Amino acid sequence: MQKLAIVFASMLLLGALLTGCAAAVTPAAPGAAPAQQPAADGAQTLIWSVEGVNELPGLDPANPQNAQSIQAISLIFGGLVKLDGLLNVSPDGAESWTISEDGKSYTFIIREGLQFADGTPVTAQTFADSINRALQPETASYGASFQLGHIVGANDVASGDATTASGIVVVDERTLQITLDDNVPYFLAQLTYPVSFAAPMHAIAADPTGWTETAFGTGPFRVKEWQHNQKLILEPNPKYWAGAPSLSEIELPFFQDSETAYQLYRTGGLDIMGSQQNPIPSARVPEVQDSPDFHSAASFAVRFVGFNNKKAPFDNADVRRAFALAVDKETLANAVLNGAVAATDRILPPGFTGSQLPVTGLTYDPAAARQALADAGYDSSQPLPQVTFTYGVEGDNERVATFLQQQWKENLGVDVVLEPLELATFSKSLDTTYLTPDEGVQFYLSIWGADYPDPQNFVSQQLRSDSPNNNGHWENAQFDELAKQADTYLGSADERLQLYNQAEQIAVDEVGWLPLYVPQFSVLIRPEVSGYSLTGQGLIFPDWTQVTGRAQ
Amino acid sequence: MGGVIGRRLLGLVFVIFSITFLTFIVGYLAPGDPILVLMGPRRDPQLYASLQHQYGLDLPWYHQYFNYLGGLLHGDLGMSYRFQGRSVNDILANGIGVSIALGAMALAASLLIGVPTGIIAALRQNSWLDRSSMIFMLALFSIPTFVMIPILRAANYFVLFRNGLPALPPAGWGTPAHWVMPVAVLAAVTMGYLARLTRSSMLDTLHQDYIRTARAKGLRRRQVVGVHALRNALLPIVTVIGPSLAFLVTGSFVVESLFAIPGIGYLGVQAIAQRDYPVIQGTTVLLAVTVVLMNLIADILYSVLDPRIQAEG
Repeated sequence: MQKLAIVFASMLLLGALLTGCAAAVTPAAPGAAPAQQPAADGAQTLIWSVEGVNELPGLDPANPQNAQSIQAISLIFGGLVKLDGLLNVSPDGAESWTISEDGKSYTFIIREGLQFADGTPVTAQTFADSINRALQPETASYGASFQLGHIVGANDVASGDATTASGIVVVDERTLQITLDDNVPYFLAQLTYPVSFAAPMHAIAADPTGWTETAFGTGPFRVKEWQHNQKLILEPNPKYWAGAPSLSEIELPFFQDSETAYQLYRTGGLDIMGSQQNPIPSARVPEVQDSPDFHSAASFAVRFVGFNNKKAPFDNADVRRAFALAVDKETLANAVLNGAVAATDRILPPGFTGSQLPVTGLTYDPAAARQALADAGYDSSQPLPQVTFTYGVEGDNERVATFLQQQWKENLGVDVVLEPLELATFSKSLDTTYLTPDEGVQFYLSIWGADYPDPQNFVSQQLRSDSPNNNGHWENAQFDELAKQADTYLGSADERLQLYNQAEQIAVDEVGWLPLYVPQFSVLIRPEVSGYSLTGQGLIFPDWTQVTGRAQ
Repeated sequence: MGGVIGRRLLGLVFVIFSITFLTFIVGYLAPGDPILVLMGPRRDPQLYASLQHQYGLDLPWYHQYFNYLGGLLHGDLGMSYRFQGRSVNDILANGIGVSIALGAMALAASLLIGVPTGIIAALRQNSWLDRSSMIFMLALFSIPTFVMIPILRAANYFVLFRNGLPALPPAGWGTPAHWVMPVAVLAAVTMGYLARLTRSSMLDTLHQDYIRTARAKGLRRRQVVGVHALRNALLPIVTVIGPSLAFLVTGSFVVESLFAIPGIGYLGVQAIAQRDYPVIQGTTVLLAVTVVLMNLIADILYSVLDPRIQAEG
């Protein structure tokens, strides 16, 4: 009996050793933090899931690394201007602004009494410092030189030759003047991107690496607690210029997998789930689409086929046209992807600035497709050699690529080999295609989403021959001329959109892109939540003092 | 005994060295570029060059590797590429407690349920209890994790939540209610394996000559089973605890990811997708050390249970 006791004791000891060890460690772990404090009577909270990540890469507005970071940063920080619920530029930290006649100089009047959440005053100097900091190489910001590169002297700061851009001038405490190297009609729209947001320089100086743990700015909320790899908890900014938000707390839990978030939503654990980048899982749409919680909108994004224009056979416009005419996009959108997307024949997504002007697309026409291929010199006696189509393995890409392969085989008789690549490998191969086209892919499946609501963001960013994002090196002199003119156009906004429209028509005719479809994104929002606007750029809360959430 | 432990610890150094080299070289040769992943779809050659320099990725591979080893010797696993200003030590410290808690609870659950079930099944061989419990354990052992999770969640939702009964949270980590589903899923495979192993080992032992002798000399059944059979039958169980830890570790990658549990497995999977090499290496080294150490503990325990091992050591 004694021996038996020893056996059991040793087994229990092992168990106790392990569980005891766990008990000792767990309280330090983020998961075991004290249960959340219930809000005061009548106060309302919001649990808004952040999907597609298990953790935010950072909360520094100067370096917003992905859409999920931007979602959180936009709640905490504010800039000179912001987008309203209709995606128009509206005042934020600046109560007004004037633009010089040549369109190169912007004068902002900072809101009187503007403060950070800790009560520190925010002046024109704060904005100047924040913008310079975003440009400085030590910040290693991924978006600053792109969004702010037109400011005079920005490149000197980015290259480390200067610490402040000469184009940013603090006139007085409430007046900030920014001079650009050219007329840039989309500059205000670029200022809605977080890199120019007011950063609390005093907090950053006090704790350069840890300040984001309790980040605050001039936005409606501030960080209450960041439980790494789990969630971010925000509380209202009592100093918010538009008045303290009506919610007592916002919780942003992180979920790599949208299905996990969905499971939590349907058992009451979330108030909002889904985003433009990570909509609710398509397999779940049928069971929720009739519920009042279900909302959907078209994304400001277009999925397209890109071509390597420096390599045969896609250096030939007729070949590209043949491939474009051979794709039945309606079947792709409605049958293959169950109507979760809308077929498109153009570069700009519907509803986007400039898309009100029509473009004639290359619609499905197998006979014309074969003719275009014949025009390029390929027929049954001299067939087009086998080509390779490259795509990243993600979402519906596999189904889309397989459908395209079948369409090109059926309608053109071309053998297409599919090359699926894991995402990081795919982005590397696009980079290779750009840098050394000869070693690059032949053609590929890609997607482009809006950074700001201006056609320049699609037309010029993607297809101007000097754009670093023109991966396939498509080039057309007339297009370049028109796009260049529009990018710095001084006349009326309507005339500028006309120029983009003409450029877009050329890009469609010459197949700079083969546009396929505009993704729809669907989200779930509890009926108690109000005060939001669902836009092609995601969910926007225009006035945080009027938002309702879940009652405590 | 001391010599055995010393030799094993020395082996551990070699294991860690090999692991770091393998993860490093596989990461180095793998297609994909951490800086490109960081920068997203926008191209900026100047920033690319400066980030590459900042992370030391412009150095030759052996230089990068020795920098890494140098840091490791000082207990510094480097800085994450992905998470601004956060060290790998800090990131892993956040996850390790959670993973240990999850793994320990799963191991405890599989031992405390699996082993007694196996013993009872062996004692009631060929009864309905034996058959049904062994079929159940076989199912636990064979149903893949990614199938079991939706089944559990659907049951939780349709049976409990929809009927207004208290339901389990289907994801997350924090309260004991959060532990139930992930621990059950993670424990399932090991539990099924241990139960079946215990049963066959117990049956083997019960048919040994010395058991018959014990019975023949008139000992009570409880004494025969408890003293003579059990101790010998449990020896093989102790030997598989080490390997079953490997099951738990690999299982935790799936379970933590699908339940959004902020442990090492979830971190590791995400780090791989984002080419966050310092975190991948940190995770791998940590898990390797854990598995080797737990194997060592299992061996020591084995020698405590079986004096013959000690004599040989």
